[in-house]
Amino acid sequence: MQLAYTPEQQAFRAEVRAWMQAHVPKEPLVTLECREGYDQHVEWERTLASGNWGMVTWPEQFGGRGLDLIQWLIFEEEYFAAGGPNRANQNGIFLLGPTIMEFGTEEQKARFLTPMAKGEVIWAQAWSEPGAGSDMAAIQSKAVRDGDHYVITGQKTWSSRAAFADWGFGIFRTDPDSKRHKGLTFILFDLNSPGITRRPIRQLHGDTGFAELFFDEVRVPVENCLAGEGQGWNVAMATAGFERGLMLRSPGRFQATAKRLVELYRQNADKASPAAREAVVQAWGATQAYAYNTYAVAAKIMAGGKIGAEASLNKIFWSELDRAMHRTAMQLLGAAAELKRFADGSVNQWLEGYIFSLSGPIYAGSNEVQRNITAERLLGLPRVGAG
Amino acid sequence: MDFRFSDDQLNLAEGVRDYLSGTHGPEVLRRLDEHGNRDPAIWQGLVQMGLTGLCVPEAQGGLGMGLPEAALIAAECGRACLAEPLVDTAFVGVPWLVAQGQLGGLEDVVAGSRRIAVAHAINPWEADGDGAALTSVDPLRNLSVRVERSRDTSAPGVSTTLDANGEGDDLLLNLGALMSAAQLVGLADAMLDQAVEYAKIRTQFGQPVGAFQALKHQLANCSVAIEFAKPVVWRAASALEHGLESAPVHVSHAKVAATDAAMLTAETAIQVHGAMGYTYEVDLHFWMKRSWALCGAWGDRAFHLKRVDDAVLGGALPIGPQHTFA
Repeated sequence: MQLAYTPEQQAFRAEVRAWMQAHVPKEPLVTLECREGYDQHVEWERTLASGNWGMVTWPEQFGGRGLDLIQWLIFEEEYFAAGGPNRANQNGIFLLGPTIMEFGTEEQKARFLTPMAKGEVIWAQAWSEPGAGSDMAAIQSKAVRDGDHYVITGQKTWSSRAAFADWGFGIFRTDPDSKRHKGLTFILFDLNSPGITRRPIRQLHGDTGFAELFFDEVRVPVENCLAGEGQGWNVAMATAGFERGLMLRSPGRFQATAKRLVELYRQNADKASPAAREAVVQAWGATQAYAYNTYAVAAKIMAGGKIGAEASLNKIFWSELDRAMHRTAMQLLGAAAELKRFADGSVNQWLEGYIFSLSGPIYAGSNEVQRNITAERLLGLPRVGAG
Repeated sequence: MDFRFSDDQLNLAEGVRDYLSGTHGPEVLRRLDEHGNRDPAIWQGLVQMGLTGLCVPEAQGGLGMGLPEAALIAAECGRACLAEPLVDTAFVGVPWLVAQGQLGGLEDVVAGSRRIAVAHAINPWEADGDGAALTSVDPLRNLSVRVERSRDTSAPGVSTTLDANGEGDDLLLNLGALMSAAQLVGLADAMLDQAVEYAKIRTQFGQPVGAFQALKHQLANCSVAIEFAKPVVWRAASALEHGLESAPVHVSHAKVAATDAAMLTAETAIQVHGAMGYTYEVDLHFWMKRSWALCGAWGDRAFHLKRVDDAVLGGALPIGPQHTFA
């Protein structure tokens, strides 16, 4: 157990810090969930790419820096300490990118990864359907083979980034007689293809970050299928594994929130309740615990280990921690918590953050599903309905 | 930067776990509680594994290991609800003596013929001392009235206290709190295991009760609390080992996190056992009572939360993403 950074790691930290200080926008960007904010965030992706900081964990051949997981954690710490914006490219960096690296052909890697790394193509994910949320194997959208194309008909929903993004990925039923996990295929598609209708969904904060997608006989070339027809479930599980696992939410993001929460407490200490005070102290403790655990998992993976069902513990922990921290902030703000902008004109980031934090326990596999996975796969309890 | 125990360290812990699960099962606790007769072979086995000398320097015949290893073994002692004074002697008393340069008599500790009971101002009683016995809710925890000065240190097998310098000593407090936290995560692990095993075999409505999500989700919550308390304990052990200025904050963080995990798991485990959980017949209560006792020992939750509060809100500790290991 060695809990100190090497001189090389310290030098790397200094390099990231200097670049971020010089480049992170001084004013917070407008929320990613509207046209203006989306464009600002895509511009930021291109700025990151110009410094080769977009896809730091990717191999150099695909436009990354080939960083190890400790360097990634240092990068993320500095990124969030500098106030770096949320990543428009999240779906590409951590979900689709690694999936293409693992399952894609050389042609697919060349075609999709480089534009992704440069921030030229922003990806939306299209998993859920009206009848397939937590139960993703209930997918019904069809992709019917017609020569060298698939013809897609159906509907996806809660598609993150899809209101504005360029391309999408998801799984579709290619075998009409199949049931559940079989007969599904992972397909990449241009969101501007003829036959696709995007209907942005207005979220509870009033903006439109995700969308419904309607597919009306959309023709997609067969070469956009990943890992072969019928392999969709396996590929999607690997992708979901990346998502729930180590890299969806790095500790730096939450440590930055905890630090802001401490500052908010100090500004409101005279009227804060003892319960809110304890919640602030616990926020520091929990974000540190999350960071230690992430470093421990990173060390395990770097030594050749794997992250399995314990990824579910991570997802439960960070999503409920984020919600608790923002709830505490709302309490500290008192009556001002309801304001979208404070009297001085500044945006109430805590309100935006609180609303966003409510989605954390739902997306990327609801926390109820994560608790089932924890109980069944980590603790060995019988599956529901077992006799 | 490598937040892992080595294979050697993990193998050592596994060896202790195997030894204790083989020789120190619930029947030992029951026999001790009901008849008070102690099997000296258990202590001898711990001595033979080198555990009494784990933190004794090699020059004094010990293994010369540090606090992270000691914390790892303390967690195994918690898992087994160990009713021998190994943790106080070898993982609290010895590291304190070594830090003071008081190396005399450590050979006897290594040999198992001398055990150390430690007194500190924060504990109103001392565990495994030889004064007037007090009755604890934990029937296996022998408590004495705390004495103000050191007692005879010469007789083998007789407990002794550190001298009056130990009173108010920060290092002693931190060692005691750290090792209590380490035991608590082991205790919590064991209580969760017991609840899970019961939930697999108890059937109602035609299925194991553990198939019901109402139970699954409660047990999953325990798993979350325990797994995110452990790295806090290991981090605190490392900070104290390396003498970081911030070590007391990390020890207190560990004590709070481990206390919360153990209390949640104790209450959940009782609930999962249903009415059986309220009986003396089920073993769980031994682990639960030890947890209660350790939660209050070496500074209770309020004391340690305040130490964290002072450092975090007071501004002495640098916080934020750049200070994970500050």
